[in-house]
Amino acid sequence: MECGVFFTNYKADMALRRKPIQKIRLGIFIAFVIIFPFFASPYWLNLANQIALATIGAIGLNILVGYTGQISLGQGAFMAVGAYGSGLLTARLGVPFWMSIPIAAFLAAAVGVLFGLPSLRLKGLYLAIATLAAQEIVEWVVVHWTSVTGGVEALVVPSPKLFGLRLNTDFRFYWIAVILAGLTALFTANLFRSRVGRAFIAIRDQDIAAEVIGVNVYWYKLLAFATSSFFVGLTGALTAHYRTIISWERFTLDTSILYLAMIIIGGLGTINGSFFGAAFMTLLPAFINNLGRSLQGSFPAMATMLPAFQQAIFGLVIILFLVIEPEGLAKLWRNIKDYFYVWPFSY
Amino acid sequence: MEKFLQLTISGLSNGMVYALVALGFVIIYKASDVINFAQGELLLFGAYLAFAFIAQLGLHWTIGVLLTLLVAVLIGVIVERFVLRPLIGEPIISMIMVTIGLSSVLKGLVNAIWSPVPRRFPPFIPAVDVYIGPAVVSADRLVAIGIAALLLILFTLFFRYNREGIAMRAIADDQQAALSMGISVKRAFAIAWAIAAMTAAVGGIILANIVGVSGDISLLGLRVFPVVILGGLDSIPGAIIGGAFIGLLEAYTGGYIGHGLDLIVPFIVLMLVLMVRPYGLFGKEIIERV
Amino acid sequence: MKRQLFVLFAILIVASLILAACPGKKAETGPIKIGAIFDFTGPTSDVGTPYGHGIQGYVEWLNSKGGINGRKIDLLYQDYAYKVPQAEQLYTQFVQEGVVAFMGWGTGDTEALRTKIAEDKIPFMSASYSHVLGDPKEAPYNFLVGTTYSDQFFIVMDWILEDWQAKGNSGKPKVAFMHHPSPFGLSPWEQGGKDYAAKLGVEAKAFEMPKGVTDFIPQLSQIRDFGAKYVVFQTVSSPAALALKNAKSLGMDDVTFVCLNWCADENLIRQGGDAAEGAIGAFPFTPPTMDVPGMKDAREFLKGKGTTLEEKGVHYIQAWWTMATMVEGIRKTLDAGKELNGENIKASLEALKDFDTGGVTVPITFTPTDHRGSKGMRLFKVEGGKWVQLTDFRYVK
Repeated sequence: MECGVFFTNYKADMALRRKPIQKIRLGIFIAFVIIFPFFASPYWLNLANQIALATIGAIGLNILVGYTGQISLGQGAFMAVGAYGSGLLTARLGVPFWMSIPIAAFLAAAVGVLFGLPSLRLKGLYLAIATLAAQEIVEWVVVHWTSVTGGVEALVVPSPKLFGLRLNTDFRFYWIAVILAGLTALFTANLFRSRVGRAFIAIRDQDIAAEVIGVNVYWYKLLAFATSSFFVGLTGALTAHYRTIISWERFTLDTSILYLAMIIIGGLGTINGSFFGAAFMTLLPAFINNLGRSLQGSFPAMATMLPAFQQAIFGLVIILFLVIEPEGLAKLWRNIKDYFYVWPFSY
Repeated sequence: MEKFLQLTISGLSNGMVYALVALGFVIIYKASDVINFAQGELLLFGAYLAFAFIAQLGLHWTIGVLLTLLVAVLIGVIVERFVLRPLIGEPIISMIMVTIGLSSVLKGLVNAIWSPVPRRFPPFIPAVDVYIGPAVVSADRLVAIGIAALLLILFTLFFRYNREGIAMRAIADDQQAALSMGISVKRAFAIAWAIAAMTAAVGGIILANIVGVSGDISLLGLRVFPVVILGGLDSIPGAIIGGAFIGLLEAYTGGYIGHGLDLIVPFIVLMLVLMVRPYGLFGKEIIERV
Repeated sequence: MKRQLFVLFAILIVASLILAACPGKKAETGPIKIGAIFDFTGPTSDVGTPYGHGIQGYVEWLNSKGGINGRKIDLLYQDYAYKVPQAEQLYTQFVQEGVVAFMGWGTGDTEALRTKIAEDKIPFMSASYSHVLGDPKEAPYNFLVGTTYSDQFFIVMDWILEDWQAKGNSGKPKVAFMHHPSPFGLSPWEQGGKDYAAKLGVEAKAFEMPKGVTDFIPQLSQIRDFGAKYVVFQTVSSPAALALKNAKSLGMDDVTFVCLNWCADENLIRQGGDAAEGAIGAFPFTPPTMDVPGMKDAREFLKGKGTTLEEKGVHYIQAWWTMATMVEGIRKTLDAGKELNGENIKASLEALKDFDTGGVTVPITFTPTDHRGSKGMRLFKVEGGKWVQLTDFRYVK
């Protein structure tokens, strides 16, 4: 629906941001992201960091679920691999964090391939259950492999040190988180301009037809699992260094479900959606908390009930989005953009 | 030998409770192709409803059970109408997520209304210890087995001979064709969910008798997945056999190995089975066309 | 039209989300701010609710008596339903709002916040009595008012040997350790319990109690085969009660069951019924069935609220005195004329010696090298459906 947009070479046509308005919006966003930490309170920085880390994981999951159509309930497990991998490397072997994080992410990717093997045989629901099995198995391993993971004890991870500077405040960590999130988004956007990306999408849409036209479905499915798990593992590793203390309770089935909720509410198969979903699911509990606390004085009964309802609200939000706007926040955003793009001539 | 017998009896009786829960899954899947991740929470809700009627309001247990079943039917119909119907035709991931959302809503409601404090449920099923040889099993479990068997027979007959049941199978096979034959898809779905909710309520009431009411009841939903997949998502006898198998597996693992493996081993077995038979032991194979 | 309305609606939601996610402003001098998180609606809410009420009750009671040296306590609190990310968010928020101390609840959040509170210098007390939390090298800002799980285990093991011999047996009995499948469950075993048993020459084995099962017959069968004569529980009352019922069905009458503090409460009796008779419980905090002077204020306060301490249970008085200990640290800091910040409160607490809780616990003592305030507890036994005192205060050897 772009009238008046003409390209004279392939490069312009294939660009990630084709229209000037898109480039301007992107510029404003980047400017905001850079200025934000200088005037934000620690509380907001904390939230921003959480959102950035969640975005990386959500993008990773979107690669698998949104773009390749493989359902996975095992994200918590991959995050755990990334987190414990990097945590153990730094804490026990003294590997510097800028090496341990990539190593851990690759380790997560390997585990992802392993648990992606069932996808070669299973589809849809059965695959979801197989990944659920994977999640539970990894959880059990983390808890019981006490010699390596310390079992149920929390693992203390030293905060990362870059050029001698300790990255132990929200402000300092922000830069790492945001830059990595940006790189992830860029990588993924480019991935889906490439051959590999198109293969993923073909598998999602009609995998049998894809096989027929020559896409090696087995190879690309495993690649999708690997790539997705890499990013999810990256999120886990970063979380380990951000929180400086991790335990298995952070990486349970509830985590997997949370990330699925993020991409569904945000919008399957879009990068914007991953960000929106991550932001929404991080801010929602904060919102409910604050609502509860502000009501503490005037409606104490409501205030105590509200956190109880938090879980119900979480579920309700998911249901509402799926029923009313199945394509998520990204679609809403697109609607808003489109509305203004042709305003006032919307006919 | 005594231990083996004890574990066998124990495992089988647990397995039948699982089968009862699995039946709810299977019915919904058989009729509407939806996997209900909220089955555990339906169990939970049923248990707490019964608790509310019997323990909190002091009604006699027969009335309490009846009321619980009625409310369960109502919930099933409401869920189908407002949550599932708008999602007909959406990709399966949306279906799964919406039932996950539903599970959160139900769990949250239970927490908010009753708070997940474990309570003592006034058991109306006698928990007398019955001795089978040297092994002991509680009478309430035998009741569970009995009810599961009864429901199995009922539902098999329902889907085989009853008009609505056959209609459901037709819809599950090919919705378009069924619609063009004049079958009311909406009504079939509503009935399916109502039945499943009722089965869950029955399961919840039985569990409440055995372990009391607490938030842990919903965890059973998770443990039941291997049962359902193993038996095949749309096979009722499969649910029973799957239940028995998993129940035994858990009992033997717990009794002979331990280390908390009894939740994991069924999942491992599940994965192995799926590799060989991707649709479970008795499931219907889905033939895809491009 | 409908779509546009919905878009507008969506924008409003997002905007209000962002606006409403703002925490309150930083506070000035005057009331003393203390942060607290409770589990009122989560998985441990059966014990978390009376505990939370105990903290709130103490603050309300103290404020009605004028507060600390005339300054009232402003308790910033929220129910976090045992969700660790929530706990972290609330912690960050409360710290920003100017709390000088923090009352946590469970092992999950206590562990997760352990390093942060050290960096932020916020003294922390909770109801997690994991042994490692009492070591200032590992957890410099954590203080434990209850006996640690490991210490409880040691004391119980000593008692078991005595009891075994008192019954006229020779040698050492076999002991089974049944635990919750979580860090909380393994804590006493991994942090010294296993080794202590070995040191005493007692053959002991751990058995995990899986979640969401309908009975523990497989585990109890294993224990029966193992030949244990004593079973120590580290779990919460619900699963423990179930296990007791199963054990009775299996006819394990020759086995004595001992509950560490989290299953030794009124719930165990309520849920276990007859099967709970004869069970032994570890009580670092005295239950209301045994009246001690330290319960007087709480009883009066609750009477004014129309309820009794018996109804609230042992966890209420547990929270009452935990809060009181933190308040004592704050009071001592103010009395010494020092600035009210985390570091000074920590120092005051570390100088706390034999703080008298009126018999509810052993006198609480902290030192700069040991943050385990209590090294003793009483044992009670279930008789006639109530917890009856079995021993007086016993200490770690």
